[in-house]
Amino acid sequence: MESPDDTTQKTSEEKSGLSSAQRRAEIRRRKLLMNSEDRMKRIVGFTKSESENNGASSRVTEPRFHLDLDRIEPWSASSPRLSPFLPEAVGSSHPHSSVPERTGSPLGDCSKVLGGGVVEDVTPGVRQRPRGEAQLAAEDPSHSASPRGGLQKYLSRFDDAMKLRGQLANEKQAQDAASSDTEELDSFRLFRLVGSVLLAIFVRVFVCKYLSIFAPFLTLELAYMGLYKYFPKVEKKTHTTVLTAALLLSGIPAEVINRSMDTYRKMGDVFADLCVYFFTFILSHEVLLLVGSEETESL
Amino acid sequence: MAALGTQTKVTKVVAKMAGCSWFLVLGSVFLCNLFKTLLPSIFSFLSKVLQKDAEHERHMRAEIQEMKKEHNSVSMMDEFARYARLERKINKMTDKLKTHVKSRTAQQAKMKWVVNIIFYILQAALMISLIWKYYADPVTVIPNKWISPLEWLVAFPSGVAGGVGITCWLVVCNKVVSIGLYSIS
Repeated sequence: MESPDDTTQKTSEEKSGLSSAQRRAEIRRRKLLMNSEDRMKRIVGFTKSESENNGASSRVTEPRFHLDLDRIEPWSASSPRLSPFLPEAVGSSHPHSSVPERTGSPLGDCSKVLGGGVVEDVTPGVRQRPRGEAQLAAEDPSHSASPRGGLQKYLSRFDDAMKLRGQLANEKQAQDAASSDTEELDSFRLFRLVGSVLLAIFVRVFVCKYLSIFAPFLTLELAYMGLYKYFPKVEKKTHTTVLTAALLLSGIPAEVINRSMDTYRKMGDVFADLCVYFFTFILSHEVLLLVGSEETESL
Repeated sequence: MAALGTQTKVTKVVAKMAGCSWFLVLGSVFLCNLFKTLLPSIFSFLSKVLQKDAEHERHMRAEIQEMKKEHNSVSMMDEFARYARLERKINKMTDKLKTHVKSRTAQQAKMKWVVNIIFYILQAALMISLIWKYYADPVTVIPNKWISPLEWLVAFPSGVAGGVGITCWLVVCNKVVSIGLYSIS
């Protein structure tokens, strides 16, 4: 019959055996990963020094292309791509992690990696990580795989370009089918146009003798800005055009593009109101002149 | 006296017509935009008139339908030779139809392109002629202070104080007519 001491000794031996096995597996995996990184470097044509400089110096997250222009969250908040090994280096409390925890483990010295300074060579075969790289790994885990990240970035851009091309083709077909290049007339837009017409007639009849015709128009536009929130908001479908696709591929965030398009749309609405207002004003002026001249002729 | 009265009336009519240049520009813009809206129907009419192969294509489609019906009724096990012969005929006819449809579609696309080009050339010619005619004269004149402080922009390129220039009026008419036609259609 086994004594309790024997069983505890056995379990501790098993644990140390497991952790050493895990450690060895971790070392093998890292070696394989390093080799794959070298292979990627050779394929892509990066030199080692360039990749180290890029890895150490650049701290900007890679821009991600949002094919869905309705996405509101800022691009800088995109989720980083984690490598399967880096979370272990950060010091997670994962029970099966081969990286030791801070308290009472044989590899407890590894916690000094993140504290700053040079990493101590705790186990043979573990790669020494310089301070900057360790800090970057702590802050941005995706950054340690920069050569692979570069290839992934290229591939993701290529995929996005292909998808945008498909979207453009679909949009073009839809536009050909619909054959409309003006925006939809929703209730607020209709209200604006009718308001501009009525104001133009009112200004021609009563106001224009006293001040410029553009002053009432500006007042009207200010009123529209305040009244906008009382109207039902219409979801405007964002069309993928060649311009938006080119802007997306050149690295401009989708949020910036959306805001610019929104501003441009609002300016277009104001311009349309101005055109309708001015047209109605001139038309009413000419009609009044005609009616006035006919009256004088008849008299 | 009567002749003098008639002459005065004619002068007044001519003066009115000269003063209606804003209406002439508006009418031209309206016609252009209307024509542009009707382009697809014009094109479909032209393609029906010019392409006379539609009958032949319909005949081919009907023949393929009949052969397919016969093909479905024939049993592959009992009459394999006849089944295979029919299938070959169907495939041959389908390929012929596809070629025919492809050439017809290419012709239609070419025709559409030509019609569009002609329209845009005519529209550009009309706009240029209007600008050339009213380059120095405003389409209408209103008191200067009504359109301050933008009188110089509104009067461009005529330069007449209080006048409405051809470019400004063209832009305004274009926008209004497009909104109007869109709301109607």
